[in-house]
Amino acid sequence: MKQLLWAERRKLRHSKIVWIAVFAVVMIAVIVFAEGQFVFKGSRYIDGAGWFMTAAQSLATFFVLPAVIALLGSYMICREEQEDTLKSLRLVPVDEAKLTVVKMIVAMVFSILIYLLLFVITFAVEAIMHFGTLSIQTVWGFLFTYFINGIGVFLAISPIVALVARIKKGYWLALVFTEIYSFAGLFASMSETLKTVYPITAVFQLSGYYEATIGNKAASLVILIVCMVLAVLILNGLSRKNKKSIY
Amino acid sequence: MLKLTQTEFLKLRRRKFILLMLLAALLMPFLAIFYFRDIRETGIDTIQFYKWTAFSYTPWIILPVVLGVFSTMLMYDEHQNDMLKQLWIVPISKTKYFFSKFIVVLSYSICFMLLTAGLSVIFGTLPGYITFEWSSFCYLLKKCMEIAILTAFAIMPLLAVAAAGKSYIFPVCVTLVYTFLGFILLMVNMYLHPLSSMSAIVMRDIPGVVLAQTLNIPAALICITIWCAGSVVLAIFALGKRK
Repeated sequence: MKQLLWAERRKLRHSKIVWIAVFAVVMIAVIVFAEGQFVFKGSRYIDGAGWFMTAAQSLATFFVLPAVIALLGSYMICREEQEDTLKSLRLVPVDEAKLTVVKMIVAMVFSILIYLLLFVITFAVEAIMHFGTLSIQTVWGFLFTYFINGIGVFLAISPIVALVARIKKGYWLALVFTEIYSFAGLFASMSETLKTVYPITAVFQLSGYYEATIGNKAASLVILIVCMVLAVLILNGLSRKNKKSIY
Repeated sequence: MLKLTQTEFLKLRRRKFILLMLLAALLMPFLAIFYFRDIRETGIDTIQFYKWTAFSYTPWIILPVVLGVFSTMLMYDEHQNDMLKQLWIVPISKTKYFFSKFIVVLSYSICFMLLTAGLSVIFGTLPGYITFEWSSFCYLLKKCMEIAILTAFAIMPLLAVAAAGKSYIFPVCVTLVYTFLGFILLMVNMYLHPLSSMSAIVMRDIPGVVLAQTLNIPAALICITIWCAGSVVLAIFALGKRK
């Protein structure tokens, strides 16, 4: 397992996808900053301390980041098939289910890092603009929210990534589905019940972005665990399918 | 050119996923069922219903993302199967090749919006939210055609990016960022981005829409034209450099 993780990390170093994801995160920050120039009741949005860090996480989650994370996860899984390296891996032999689990772990780490990068960028801008008004408590609060968002978003999309592992060429489907899935969160947030049970908004309930009771937070946590269990079940099915095809 | 376009359409028959992507047209009409459930008693204006199902998030987010992914698919599959070499040997003009792809994207966009229009009527009339009227249906069709054509032109830069690269990762990420940028700029400056310019043109005669800036249709058209011209140049240059 450790070796597989090492190999996946090495493979990512050769890939441009990490830089493309960094580009996407920087662009999100720039776009949200542009939105902050909108004047409402005589002052710009960006002039409010904490607005940038608050707006960036929700807009990024509803519109861009889940799809980028799903893209990375499905890319890592599908590339073995596309680049014809799966045969060589089978010859080693490498347990394909284990390999997929490792790829999922790397995707989760990537998801956390992407959110932390967004935090660093937004925090840097906030620090430049409103250094005096930002308290350490607020910054720690945001850091925690972003960190939980990173884990939560990965858990919410993990069944889709796991499904791609089964339908090897399904990365297009995964991408479009994830984008619609995250975008639909915008409407789910309008209803109190849906906000708790819809996986994308459940992430926000859990991270503290939405004000929620302990009960709601627990329900959201259960939803995200269900997503993870679903992903595990799909991957388990994949493992059995592979064993059948070998024997 | 016609033959080339016909070939492009024939190639689509092998891609079942393209039909699946049309399901995205279901999203907004489906969500409208829940959104309008509570205000049903007070009466729903037909145009208001169509505004929600077809004129809002569909042209702002859903259609651009679907067309961006579709454009990437069209270009990427040919790079992956190394078909471009064979096409250049025929020989095929790079400009014609690019425009034949664009015509396919345009046709897909029209199909998507016609489906959205059909679903809007079905999801509105079946639960009894709205009553079917020919005048509002014609208005819906006219607007959907406007959205389909203008969005296809507005996403031409994505087709050019897909033509310029060999991978699908970068064009897909650009699609997401480009769509997001278009949506956000709608509130800041509508005449910088083709998607927000497209929205400005479409919204010109939709009742109840308040725009952040004064409407300037020539400026919106100029914005779309500049981006399209730049995209064509980029695509032809990138395809020309490819062996």
